[in-house]
Amino acid sequence: MMQKTLTRERASSWSWILQAITGVLVIVLVGVHMIFQHFVAAGGLRTYADVVAYIRTPFFLGWETIFLIVVTWHALLGVRAIALDFGLKRSVERVFNWILTIIGVGTIVYGLWLTFTVISRTS
Amino acid sequence: MSVNAKPKPVARKPIQWIDLRGRRVGFWAYLAMRLSGIGLVVYLYLHLVILNQLTAGPGAWDGFVALARSPIFLALDVVLIIGLLVHGLNGLRLALVGFGIGVPRHKTMLWIGVALAVILSVLSALAIFSKG
Repeated sequence: MMQKTLTRERASSWSWILQAITGVLVIVLVGVHMIFQHFVAAGGLRTYADVVAYIRTPFFLGWETIFLIVVTWHALLGVRAIALDFGLKRSVERVFNWILTIIGVGTIVYGLWLTFTVISRTS
Repeated sequence: MSVNAKPKPVARKPIQWIDLRGRRVGFWAYLAMRLSGIGLVVYLYLHLVILNQLTAGPGAWDGFVALARSPIFLALDVVLIIGLLVHGLNGLRLALVGFGIGVPRHKTMLWIGVALAVILSVLSALAIFSKG
């Protein structure tokens, strides 16, 4: 019983540390994202041609890719934290972790596919 | 058993989230964190779905851009920014306190966060609506 409690506490503190680290990273990443996509851009939103030009810039391509990965991670860890508040059974939690992992990988793959589809479009 | 013994803290059941009697300020920060978090996750996926318009080419995307510049969408942008500020500033406080930085000052940090959120929300709203 004692051992089980310790293991669970260790597991949740690891996810808390990850949540804090990705959270601080997201503040920086979303800050630059919002400023360059919505405040610097004329009219608050880039037209198609501007989006293509923006995402073809190596710095912003790298930045937005890292943002995609970190924000997905942070968002799904948050969903997990809320779910854990409902006191899931250990077996249910394990299944839920897998579902979130699949959703996370799917989200990142979709985002990368979208990015490179836009980059490689000729018109 | 000592009479002075503090009652052992009991974890709230999720259903008790909606019981708002006798809450302290920390609870409201927690609730704001959870609600803004849920909102931002929903927004993230909505955003990723809308970006799919880019694959349909310039016509589809620029049509969406015209729609997104309408006042109702701009008002929703302000809601988004308020959500980001509330979640981000409170999250920064939680990260600092969680790593043992400024623990005795956590309530001061909360109010500084609230003040910053209000100021930056107003400035963002002005910037968004002045661009039209």
